[in-house]
Amino acid sequence: MDGKMSSNNSSTYRRANLKIAPGAVVCEESILKGDISIGAKTIIHPRACILAEAGPIIIGEGNIIEEMATITNRQLPSDAPEPVTVPVQIIGNYNVFETDCVCESYKVGDNNILEAKAQVSREIELTNGCVIGAACSLTEQETIPENTIVYGSQCQRREMNDKPYPQIGQLDFLLKVLPNYHHFRKSNVKSKPGGPL
Amino acid sequence: MEPQDIYYNKAEYVETASGNKVSRLTVLCGSQNIVLHGKVIVQSDAIIRGDLANVRTGRYCIISKNAVIRPPFKKFSRGVAFFPLTMGNHVFVGERAVVNAALVGSYVYIGKNAIIVRITFICQIERSVLKDCCYIEDGAVVPPETIVPSFTRFAGSPATCVEELPECTLDLMVDFTKNYYEHFLPARV
Repeated sequence: MDGKMSSNNSSTYRRANLKIAPGAVVCEESILKGDISIGAKTIIHPRACILAEAGPIIIGEGNIIEEMATITNRQLPSDAPEPVTVPVQIIGNYNVFETDCVCESYKVGDNNILEAKAQVSREIELTNGCVIGAACSLTEQETIPENTIVYGSQCQRREMNDKPYPQIGQLDFLLKVLPNYHHFRKSNVKSKPGGPL
Repeated sequence: MEPQDIYYNKAEYVETASGNKVSRLTVLCGSQNIVLHGKVIVQSDAIIRGDLANVRTGRYCIISKNAVIRPPFKKFSRGVAFFPLTMGNHVFVGERAVVNAALVGSYVYIGKNAIIVRITFICQIERSVLKDCCYIEDGAVVPPETIVPSFTRFAGSPATCVEELPECTLDLMVDFTKNYYEHFLPARV
């Protein structure tokens, strides 16, 4: 089925492009638009917002995306040179996106934490184990080295000595508790093509 | 100073017998775990996460638009838990504020865009002391495990005490929240 042909029927369009792996918990009140793949054990809280405008968004396993967090693959500005390939936004595994953070980064690794109201813009690559502190904002083009912590009003940085502990505990707790209170979007793929499960 | 009347769309709000005014456009998860003690205003697009743990507010609390009230998460050596969130009387929560505190005392003002991160105690109520007036400024980030003492004003990121508040803060907050409630009126059709 060609999803683009049926764009006038938005619900069909959306359903055709939303891939949820088995074991993912995606609340029905979340806002999902465009071509999105969600990996197993990822939790998407109500009112989380994922917008695939410019191209697809691929989200890995075990991520927690809290309410009002926004992940966007934003449309490129009109004066920018035409991209050679379709811009794909890739989110790795076991990341936490806390309340009201905004992530436009085209590539996010594993075990990162974006705290409440943190902002990361498109040209930034988050590697692994980074913590973007509450209300910190990153806008300049760069690759954030592993285990960096950004904190405070001036967005100071330092390197973390120990590796961040993945949020398995919270993940398991939420996987247990949320089904008692919410309706979920059903998973619709058996296994992710070309990806580990 | 007499505050201005704020009009709301009557069809949008539900008014309960105890005088709570709750917008229909809010996300109240796990509503069986949320207790609003009367004369509480919850405005549109606010989120209260009762599904994670119990949330309890006192009287005359005002929760503004897009605010998030979310029980805090804590990791122990064995297992994890969300703490129940308790809020006292006469508390104002500004627009887009994120409240992750374990305890918010009474007569507390939380500004717009303020963030209160995990297991923060705003005025831990000791049994004898019941006056716990605090002012968290707009955009302040109160770091985890902070205890905000009574009669202080916190600002900045990470938030620190910037000044002490006068003793009349209690009356000012009572007046402010009561006036707000009384001037929060249904729009005349």
